[in-house]
Amino acid sequence: MRTETQLVEAAQAGSTEAFADLVRSYRDRLLRFLLTRCATYADAEDALQDTLINAYRYINSYDARWRFSTWLYRIAINNAAKIRSPDVMELGELRDEESDPLLQCISDSDTENLWLSARRILNDDVFAAMWLRYAEDMSVNDISRALDRSASWTKVNLLRGRRALDAGMNGGRNESEAYG
Amino acid sequence: MDKLANRLREDADKIEVSVSEELDHRIAASLQGVTQEGVAGKPRERSRPSGFWWASSLTGIAAAAAVIVIINLQQAEEPPQATPTDVVAVVPVIDWQAETAALTGPLQQELENLQADIRKAEEKVKKDIGL
Repeated sequence: MRTETQLVEAAQAGSTEAFADLVRSYRDRLLRFLLTRCATYADAEDALQDTLINAYRYINSYDARWRFSTWLYRIAINNAAKIRSPDVMELGELRDEESDPLLQCISDSDTENLWLSARRILNDDVFAAMWLRYAEDMSVNDISRALDRSASWTKVNLLRGRRALDAGMNGGRNESEAYG
Repeated sequence: MDKLANRLREDADKIEVSVSEELDHRIAASLQGVTQEGVAGKPRERSRPSGFWWASSLTGIAAAAAVIVIINLQQAEEPPQATPTDVVAVVPVIDWQAETAALTGPLQQELENLQADIRKAEEKVKKDIGL
């Protein structure tokens, strides 16, 4: 079993098999993240495909000081922004529930999934910061790099996002207010 | 971990997604046709031959040495001897005494004239007072 560093080196040498092994554990998580940023399931799949192709194409520019996942998410965020159609620019905008890819993938529950609330309340970047922090367990520094923001921006907006969601959970806040 | 963070993590886990086989094949097929940018281990194309810097350095050193040798050779040659010159013959001899006399002559004459005038004036005064 090769380590991530070994797989990166092999992929940099041109091995598509090593690259496939390298990204295998990230594909489902990336697709789940891209679903929160794309208008349709097909868009999210296209964004994932483009992300992996770009990652392979530019893997020689990967800086080993970063976590590989941070670099991958940065590419994914850029690709999602390119694919997203201009008429569905803000995640907070209401969509047709039947076509909402995120809604389709959420298992039945008594309470509304908090990420659906987050998507309504928060703007794109704050939502992404919250997702990377609480769904992907990234550090503040890694989130800053993935979003190309400062660490202080990330800290402040994570705090704002939390407050907004707290207020949303407790019903004491106008949920249409966007933060960030 | 606090309540909100727990809830966010749990709700993220409730989003059930997996890459389909069809997408997996699509990605694998796409990767086969991708050429990597800036392949690792492949040396960058150089704009000059690999021995360029050595060659240019050696050429520079050789040129500098040649210049130094030429300068030294030129200094080693005896400079043409200057023809001895008879300074006495070239430089006109000045008759300092004659020149002094020429320069002070008029003043001397003037002094003598004044002394003569004084003597005449004394004689005239003596004659007037009857001495």
